[in-house]
Formats: sequence, C-alpha cells, structure tokens
Amino acid sequence: MAISPAAQPKMVNDGKPPLVNGRLKLRVLTKSMLAIRVTLIALAVLTVIGFMTFNYQEVHLLKGIATTFVNFKTIFASPQFSHFTFPEAVHQLLITLSLGVLTTLIGALIALFLSMLAAENLSNKTVSNSVKGLMAVIRAVPTVLWVLIFAVSAGLGSVAAVIGMSFHSISYLTKAYSESFEELDQGILEALQGCGAGWWQIICQAVLPSSLTSIVSWTFIRFEINFGVSVAMGAAAGAGGIGYDMFMDSAFYYNLHEMGVITYMILAVAMLLEYLSLQMKKRIRA
Amino acid sequence: MTTLLQFKKVSKQYGSSTVALSDVNFSVNEGELVSIIGPSGAGKSTLLRCINRLIDATSGEIIFDGMDVLSIGRRNLKKLRTKIGMIFQNYNLVERLSVFENVLHGRLGYKTALVGALGFYHEEEKARALEILKSLGLEEQIYKRCDQLSGGQKQRVGIARALVQEPRVLLADEPIASLDPSSSKVIMDHLKNICETFGITVLVNLHQLDVALNYSDRIIGISSGRVVFDGMPSALTHDAIRQIYGSDPDGLNLNVERPKEVAQKR
Repeated sequence: MAISPAAQPKMVNDGKPPLVNGRLKLRVLTKSMLAIRVTLIALAVLTVIGFMTFNYQEVHLLKGIATTFVNFKTIFASPQFSHFTFPEAVHQLLITLSLGVLTTLIGALIALFLSMLAAENLSNKTVSNSVKGLMAVIRAVPTVLWVLIFAVSAGLGSVAAVIGMSFHSISYLTKAYSESFEELDQGILEALQGCGAGWWQIICQAVLPSSLTSIVSWTFIRFEINFGVSVAMGAAAGAGGIGYDMFMDSAFYYNLHEMGVITYMILAVAMLLEYLSLQMKKRIRA
Repeated sequence: MTTLLQFKKVSKQYGSSTVALSDVNFSVNEGELVSIIGPSGAGKSTLLRCINRLIDATSGEIIFDGMDVLSIGRRNLKKLRTKIGMIFQNYNLVERLSVFENVLHGRLGYKTALVGALGFYHEEEKARALEILKSLGLEEQIYKRCDQLSGGQKQRVGIARALVQEPRVLLADEPIASLDPSSSKVIMDHLKNICETFGITVLVNLHQLDVALNYSDRIIGISSGRVVFDGMPSALTHDAIRQIYGSDPDGLNLNVERPKEVAQKR
C-alpha cells in the first residue's frame, strides 16, 4: 500500500529530516495539527470578542458576583423547611427517582436490542449504519427538547417527560452498548461460530456475559443523568417531583432556605447513587 | 485409509488484488495428523478457516466427509461445523464464564436456538464434558473462571470445547504460538493422543518446524498461497525448506537431524 504523500515527511535536507535554524525538526506540520491550531486560535479570538461586546445592562459584574455569593450563603448555610415537611419532601424525591428509574429501564431494554443491530460485528453493515445514523440524529436533540416535542401530543406533564427521556436514553445507551459489543474479541465470535452456534446463542453465551460489566456501568451512568434530568423536568415540563417544588421555591415563593434543603437532599441522593454504582460494579467484577 | 478431506483447486482472494490461496490441492486421510507450515501471511489460517467456512473460498471445491463444503445451505452448514472442532492461538474462550460453561459451548451446534441461548445442557452432555476435562487434567479447574487460568490451561479448555463436539476433524490454528516450551509439549502431546486414540483427524498450523517434524504424519508446506511441499516429515529436505521459507535452513537455526531419527524409530 502506498503511503499518502501527506503522511510522509518532506525530505529536503539530502534525504535527512529537515532542519529549522540549524536544529533537527521533531515533527512535521500535518493537516490535523494545522486544524487543531486554527480551531484553538479561533476560539481564543471569539472569547476575547465575546467579553468585549457583552451587554452588561445595569448589572455591575463584581457586585453581581458578590450578591450571588450572598444568595449561596442563604441557600447552603441556613436550609429550612416552610411549605412542606421532611416526609413530603422524601415522597417528592421518590417521584423524581422513579421517573429516572422508569426512563432508564425503558431505555435500557429497547437499547439492548437496538445495540445488537447497531454493533458492526453482530449485524451487517447496512443495518448497523442505518441504526447508528438514526440514533445519532435522536441523540443530537437534547433530552429537554424531546420532552417538549412529545408534550405537543401528550400534553405538558409526566407522560411527555417519560416518553421524551426514554427516547433520548435509548439512543444514548444504544451507542454505549453497541460500542462495548464492538470491543469484543472477534476471535470469540469466530470460535462459537465454528462450533455451529447460531446468532442468539452467541449473543447469550458470549456477547452478554463478556460485556455485562460495561452494560451495567453505562446503564448506571445514564441513570445518574436521568435523575438529574428528571429534577429539571419537574420544573420545565411539570412532571412533578422534587424539581417542581424547587421551581416553586425559586420562582414564586423566593424561599431560598427551602431551596437549600432540596439541594442538599438531591445531593445526598446523587452521592448515594454514586456509592451504589461503585459497589455494584465491584460485585459484578469479582 | 479413507479420504476425509479434499481440496480441489481452491483459491481465495481478498478484494480484487490480495490473493490468500491460489490453486490449492491436497487431501487428508482419516486419522492423520497433518502439519501445515509456512511463513507468516502465507495463507495457513485462511486455509483452515475455509474448511469450516469461517472464510468462504472464492473458487474451487472442498469435499469434507462426502459433502461439498462450499455449496451447502445454512442448516447443513451448522451440521458441518459440529463435525469440525477448532482451537486457536488466542484460545478464544469467553473469559468471564467458567471452564465448564466454556467447554459446553461445544454442544451449541447440536441445540435449537432457544435451548442453546439459555444454556440448558443434558446430563449426558455434562458427564461427557467432565470426562474430557478429566482426561486433559483440568478436573480441579472446572468451576474456575477462564481468566484465572494459565495459557496452557486455557488451550486445554479450548481442546475440550472442540472435543465435546465429537468432531471428525480438529483444526488447530497455531495452538502453541503463545505458549512456553513445556506447555507447548503438553498441548502437542494431547493433540497426538487425540489423533491416535480417538482416530480424530488433526490439521495443525505451525510456526515451529521442529515440532512439525516431530509430531506429524505428514507435512504440507505453503508459501504465498501455494502448496509447495506435501509429504512425509522425513522427505522434507533442505531444498524444500528453502522453497517454503525462502531462506537457507542453516540460517534458520533448525535441528533437522533429530526428527529424522524420530522418523526412523517408527
């Protein structure tokens, strides 16, 4: 195979590597390096222009930052219930959690089948590319937007939230699962084919056992994402749960103390999930 | 002796230019241990994979046990593959499953899709698998996960998986290329033993010329996709070696005298 001329260093110095100012050059400027440099310079220029043309209106930057910190202090240093009690808050938190669990579960189940079609080593090229393409389009639209799109037909509320979040979970998990399937050693598939095993047998006896750890860890990562999104959905799509209470506190009651309580509770749940996922992975690996 | 396997003018092309096999003709008798030797990239692996159709040959005819391998349908292909066991350089076991489960994978070809997928096996099948594991010295390891085994043990699991298929022929694709000399000897001894006691034909790809000379009934030499030598180990002359590997045997640091003694002892 001929090496493309771009990949070959230019030999100007009698066949020796080129010299710059009498020193040996370590690398040659390739197209990809040039592209990276141009991108970085463009980003730097845009940042400077952005700061110069900001419309600050009446807000004084330093004063604004200072006030924000005062608000943070109110939220985090003096949390306090006023509109609802602790058991009620836990109940709302459970609603949010179940929204996360449900959407992850629906997403994982459907994604498992789609990912088998999307993995190049388990399916054929046409099917794989079309599934992957479709999933990429779905993934490109943010979860919140999908919820709002489904809200057109289902109405703003929990139904739209479940469908929209599941939709995005499917495409996310399909990509994650199919990539872990593709990392599978081709030789194992070959060995089982050689035994006369069929497609489903290879899936259940080799593919799933080999990629179980990554399937579980990807599903958990998505669950963490979905928990965060379902907090936001409570406010943005009226899906209920702790997010809605938080929205009411911040936008209607201006009760920063209660917001602090809610923030701490969400934080506690997020940390608990992190701990659980670590434990689960340990168990599976062992 | 009956002919079990026959290659007639078999060729394999990858894409439009890369030729892996060209006009390969040879036949293998039942119960023979045949070594296929040749430099890397000569087409040895392709040749073995053409037999169980992991790779489809481009043209020619492969007759295995009276069946035309290249023209059979899907159902018969499954049946064909159950008769052909295969072991690999990288063992190709499912590392996260136990030795026992991996060995029983050899029975999948005999099962319906659902039963095999769920991993239900008959008691007789399990008993047979256990017997084979015992004969290979793996009875202590049956419930261990395969990633806890050494290379030599993994290869023996590979052999066990091939044997529970109750195959007519065992294809070994460089079975000892990643093993140390003593494990290599164990594996080659097992292959020889399988060939002699069960009468299973063994086709083995080898890089180690001395091993090929010591163990095989017949040697097939391949160079750039063509069969350039086919005969007894004792007939492998310096000229033939030069033709296969393209270099002088003296430079290859081989001990070709020893196998001749082995051949004479028989």
